[in-house]
Amino acid sequence: MFKIIANNEVGPGIFQLVLNYDQLPQKPEPGQFFNIKVSHPGSDDPLLRRPFSIFDFDAAEKKIEFIYRVVGKGTKILSKLEKETELDVLGPLGTPFSLNQYKRNVHLIGGGMGIAPLYYLAKKLKSSKQKVYLGAANQAELNFFEEKFKELGVELHLAAMEEKLEIKGSALVLWLNYLKKNTPDYVYTCGPEKMLAAVEKEALKNNIGGQLSVEKRMGCGIGVCLSCSCETREEDQKNKRACVEGPVFELGEVILSA
Amino acid sequence: MPKKQMKKKKKKLSKSDLDLSVIMKSQQKAENKNLNLKNPLITASGTCGNGKELADFYDINQLGAFTTKGITVEAQSGNKTPRIAETSAGIINSIGLENPGVENFIREVLPETKEYTLPILANISGYSEQDFISLAEKLEGREELAGIEVNLSCPNIKGGGMVFGTDPEKVFEITKKVREVYSGYIIVKLTPNITDITETALAAEEAGADAAAMINTLSAMKIDIDRQKPLLANTFGGLSGPAVKPVAVKMVYDCYKKLNIPILGLGGVRSGADVIEFMLAGATSVGIGTINMIEPAAGLRIIKEIENYMLKHQIQKLSSIIGAAH
Repeated sequence: MFKIIANNEVGPGIFQLVLNYDQLPQKPEPGQFFNIKVSHPGSDDPLLRRPFSIFDFDAAEKKIEFIYRVVGKGTKILSKLEKETELDVLGPLGTPFSLNQYKRNVHLIGGGMGIAPLYYLAKKLKSSKQKVYLGAANQAELNFFEEKFKELGVELHLAAMEEKLEIKGSALVLWLNYLKKNTPDYVYTCGPEKMLAAVEKEALKNNIGGQLSVEKRMGCGIGVCLSCSCETREEDQKNKRACVEGPVFELGEVILSA
Repeated sequence: MPKKQMKKKKKKLSKSDLDLSVIMKSQQKAENKNLNLKNPLITASGTCGNGKELADFYDINQLGAFTTKGITVEAQSGNKTPRIAETSAGIINSIGLENPGVENFIREVLPETKEYTLPILANISGYSEQDFISLAEKLEGREELAGIEVNLSCPNIKGGGMVFGTDPEKVFEITKKVREVYSGYIIVKLTPNITDITETALAAEEAGADAAAMINTLSAMKIDIDRQKPLLANTFGGLSGPAVKPVAVKMVYDCYKKLNIPILGLGGVRSGADVIEFMLAGATSVGIGTINMIEPAAGLRIIKEIENYMLKHQIQKLSSIIGAAH
């Protein structure tokens, strides 16, 4: 059983959802997601669950946190749900980020709501050498994330499309500026697919390894419907499912639309 | 009436008295050719993977039968994404039959089904008549399978599936040829994208199909009004989910009196009540599809709901209600 203990607007149209749980089938890892039924019990509208990546997890308090933007019917309904509401939740699902990069110089690049899974990742990496590059439309969208990442004590750089922060532009442009001065050993990235494709291209060009997390329109989230298939560069050209083999993939593993 | 019998009649049924089993009779007129199901629930192709994905959630052996994801002669990578769009009480999919091809299916998927105790049905799709014959030939004699579901109705592949399924003559021809090479149970899955489904259903029966499955998805599309373009990469897809159920129930109802072979009814089932409705319309077995994507353990809940209905209405044999709404 999952119960809402907080569902607050933390930025313009951006919500923090905190759930309390009784038990989980396994411990959630950074990059994994939960599939949440947002419609009222017995309602068929919307029919499908909504996948949300884990923003934060606290085993002692039995808490899972998500950050979501209100974009459609499902998230609109979710944003109106009050404290104490019980939710039908499946998870954790999907393949997480690998965490064996903790000793190295690691860059995390997040754009828009793609920032959300990077927080739990940064927390678990526990590396003082990690540098975090975040971008969004404006400072208001970044306020909440800025505060949270600062608490972790990581080196943080911010960019916005609509106003000049460190730069006026995307997280990608911000990161590329630093890439020339400070080459990481490893990158993690999540955000719009075009951004992922650009990060991947630059990283691979510079022989930097890394992982990315894709956002794909999902049906079931458990691997049965093949709605979220990703084309791969592997020899047998077998597709991979964003919900099972993903959403985290190695750089270069799946074909992104640039 | 003797006193003893009266007393028996008055005894209230309890859960252990209930009989949910149904028999999908075969046209091959031999008892061992029938498909015996412990309950009428059959997974719909493409909504349950090949079984192991659902194993995390419940023991699928509790269902009547399992239908595998559709296979073709060669491996298919499927359509471009997005492949799924949500509508009111429904989804439109255009997966495009992503599958490993029949050879890999036999080598990799079939062995995995060996641990299952329920009947397994392989769903086959083709781009030509010859494809269906080749697939049936390859699957002939496979002990893992109780039968095949001939998908003459996939809306998501060009030049195949649904094109055959809208022409009663083609349905007859393909079914007949498949019957000639395949000795197990044959279900022909029909498309609702047709003026009169009884014509294709009768064609399948005449050609030797053991059962008719209806309905596959309804041809549909969704337009992304911000991008001002079709949402699905494939432009069109097939609508499933609760939205299509009344259409499916009507088609089962239409066919029940005209057909001698059993009907596998499906379309938008998400509760025990829906299963009962299909059976009252004339379905012997009932498919569960889209609901598995939302609630992986739905099958278990639905079985319990059917039992509750039987207790409420004091029905001992579930099969007694087949076609009862006529």
